[in-house]
Order: sequence, then C-alpha cells, then structure tokens
Amino acid sequence: MQLDISFIMTAFLEILQALPLTLAITFVPLVIGFGIGIGIALIRLYEVRYIHRVAGFYVSFLRGTPLILHIYIVYLGIPMIFDRLSAHFGWGMNSSSIPLIIFIFIAFSLNAGAYMSEIIRSGILAVNKGEIEAAYSIGMTTRQAMWRIVLPQALLISLPNLCNMFIGLLHGSSLAFSISLLEINGKASIVASTNWKFVESYIAAAIIYWGLTLIAEQITGLLEKRLRTFAKGGVA
Amino acid sequence: MIQLRNIRKTYGKHSVLNGINITVEKGDVIAILGPSGSGKTTLLRCINFLEHPNEGEITIGEVAVDCKHASKKDVLALRRKTAMVFQHYNLFKHKTVLQNVMEGLTVVQKMPAEEAREISLLMLAKVGLTHKADSYPSQLSGGQQQRVGIARALALNPEVILFDEPTSSLDPELVGEVLTVIQNIAQEGVTMIVVTHEMGFARDISNHIVFMEEGRIIEEGKPQDIFNAPKEERTKQFFKRFTNEWSYSI
Repeated sequence: MQLDISFIMTAFLEILQALPLTLAITFVPLVIGFGIGIGIALIRLYEVRYIHRVAGFYVSFLRGTPLILHIYIVYLGIPMIFDRLSAHFGWGMNSSSIPLIIFIFIAFSLNAGAYMSEIIRSGILAVNKGEIEAAYSIGMTTRQAMWRIVLPQALLISLPNLCNMFIGLLHGSSLAFSISLLEINGKASIVASTNWKFVESYIAAAIIYWGLTLIAEQITGLLEKRLRTFAKGGVA
Repeated sequence: MIQLRNIRKTYGKHSVLNGINITVEKGDVIAILGPSGSGKTTLLRCINFLEHPNEGEITIGEVAVDCKHASKKDVLALRRKTAMVFQHYNLFKHKTVLQNVMEGLTVVQKMPAEEAREISLLMLAKVGLTHKADSYPSQLSGGQQQRVGIARALALNPEVILFDEPTSSLDPELVGEVLTVIQNIAQEGVTMIVVTHEMGFARDISNHIVFMEEGRIIEEGKPQDIFNAPKEERTKQFFKRFTNEWSYSI
C-alpha cells in the first residue's frame, strides 16, 4: 500500500473541525481540576479534620486507576444515580438527556484534580519556610500568608508541571472517543474508515496534537520568563 | 512595656527554655548573648509565637497572653505588636523591595496604598535603599536584603523589633552596613531585643545584656558590668575570649 501524502492534508483539514471539542475537553477539566487541586492540596497540607482522609483517598484512588476507567465509571455510574434521584424527587428528567460531554468533563476534572493537587502540594512545600514565618511575623493570618505569599510562588514553581498536566489532558482527551464523542482522535478514525486511508488520517491527527503541544510549551516558556522577572539578577 | 514571665519550652523530653523572666521598658535595647544552643533564638521566636511556648506569660503593651492557653487571636495580637528581622532576611522573593515594606501596612494594618507607600519610602530612606525600591530581593546583596528586612519591620511601627542574629549569614564586609543601620534606629528610641554574636556591637548599642545558657538566664545587667566585671564563673569564661580578642587587636 502506498502512502497518499496529499490525503494527509485533506484529512488534516477535515479533522481540524474537531479541534474545538478537543480544546474544550482539555481546558474545562484543566480549569476545574485546578480548583479541585488547590482545594485538595490545602486540605491535605493543613490536615483538615476528617476530610483530609477523604482527600487522601481521592488522590490515591484516582491516581491509582486509569483514566479510561474513570470515564466508564462516571459514564455508567452517574446515570444510575441520576435516574434514581430523578424518580425520587420527581424531576421528570431522564439521564439520557445529559449531554455526553458532561460525563467527560466530570471524569477528566476528577482525574486532573487528583494529579494537580499533588503538583500544587509539592509547589507549596517548595516555598521557603522563612518567608511564611516572615509573613506571620508582620501579623498576617494563615489565609493571608497563603494567598499573598505562598500560593503565587508555589504556582510559579508548579508551572512546568502544570504544563505537563495540560499536555497529558490534551492527549487524554482522545479517550473521549470511547463514549463516542468525536474529538480529534474520533474524527480521525471516521475519516480513516470512510476513506480507507488509515495511516494518513492518523498522521494528520498526530500532527495536530503535536502542534498543540508545541504551542503549549511555547506559551509556558513565555509565561515563565515573564513571571520570573523577580528571579533575575543572580546575587544570592 | 514588655514582660516575659516564666517562659518554658520543651521539644519532647528536651527542655530548651527553663523559665525565663525578662522585662523590657520602652526604648530599651536588650542584647541576648550566649553560646550556641543556649535557647536565645528560641526565646526570641517564642515572643511572636513562631515557636509556641509551653508555659508562661507574655505581655506586650495592653496585650497579655497566657502561653498555655493562647488562642489564634492572642497569637495574632502579639504578632501585630512586634516585628522580626531574620538571620536569613526572609524577604518575599516575588515582591519588589517597596512591596516588601508596604505589604504589612496595606494587608495587615489596612492602610491606604498611597499612605503606605509614603511610609515605606521613608523607611527605605532610613536604611539607605531608596534607589532600590523597585528591585527584587534577588538583585540585592545580603547586606542590602537585610536592610530591607529592617525597613519592613520598622514600617509597622511595632512596640518592639526582634532581631534574630541579623548579621550571622552576612559576608564579613557587609556586617558593618547592617550594624550601622541597627545602631541608628536604636538611637531613635525604638525598643529592640537583639540576639547576636557580635559582642562589640552588643556592648555598644544595648543598655541591658542578658547572658543565657542551657535555657536559663545566667546573668544580666548593664553592658559595662557584664563585660568588665561578670559575676558568674560561666559568664567570665565566655567573655574572657572576647576581651582577649580585643587586647590582641591593639
């Protein structure tokens, strides 16, 4: 079989239509997961009574199981709960009316939250303890010290890892096809099987993923440079 | 007035402070001296609860705190009456020099930014760093960073400034500039408690010296008395080395 180079371009353009969906599946969980991550990291660091155990279990379980399982469990489990609640409270709605993408958002956000909580936790731990003491010494409350002194620095330290998280989510978004959402990977499969040009379609999809990854790396690099102005100088 | 009554601190079975009593009047400059591990720094850190004392009573102005039952509110109240200058400066690395000094005023004392800025610039002028206001800590030398640390403490206008070995991590060449700044503030009547290894400095700026060992105050008194005529055997031994050094240098 011969590789049809020109079809790669055709496939590329067609698959590109799925880009908004892929980006949505990447960005929405990134943002929600970030919020979950900060919350979980703080709960675990301050060992908030009782719930820090729940948080610990959440992180351990989600990081200890593959993303595809999270998708299945959310996709199959939530409708069961939803339908039962709906019947009980008489919402008059059926789980089949929930858009597919909601399940993906939930599964991916939970997954991303678990990983990001660890990224943020390590970032917080990397902030110089002396600065926290200094914050306390000038009379700041724990909350003020956390939001004004610790978190801004912790997030900056975490930036490269958060970028990795983005890339992981971007590539993980291809699993959304498993519940038949047509994101880039799904679209590529359709284009491939309708035209009988498999390698070409998947190469086109790969190029799109790679391009997105390059852009993400570039943006992170720029961001880091901009935000790190304070680290310039070099005198200890 | 600042009063420490029977301050005790233990780490597990190890007792670091065995009932310390100190009274500091307004405008006093107290120097705490003693060998390493004598509990000087721990005592200083107990005053603003960076270490929680197990027992004792701390009074600063109208705030009186029973250490054993200190609430979050008590701790905050004590911290808002004091300021600290650290051995390792501990400036906020992601903030400029000016922001470092303003932070306590705007965030803790809720002062309008414009007023805080004015005060902060005044303090930076006092430590001779007005021209570095927009620099980041990483762009400064150790001595300059420590002077910013002093400006940050001064800006809060606290009842007392706690100095925790302010020159111990500095290049010998940079010690002078920091000591000069501290001396200038001392002459303005700012109340200070200074933990230091700089004997000559302690003698020159303080009006009261506390000598500690093994979590106890061994001897205290006026600098000239402690340095020239110590009463306790241990104190004599400790200061002998220092006075000898002086005679050598002539």
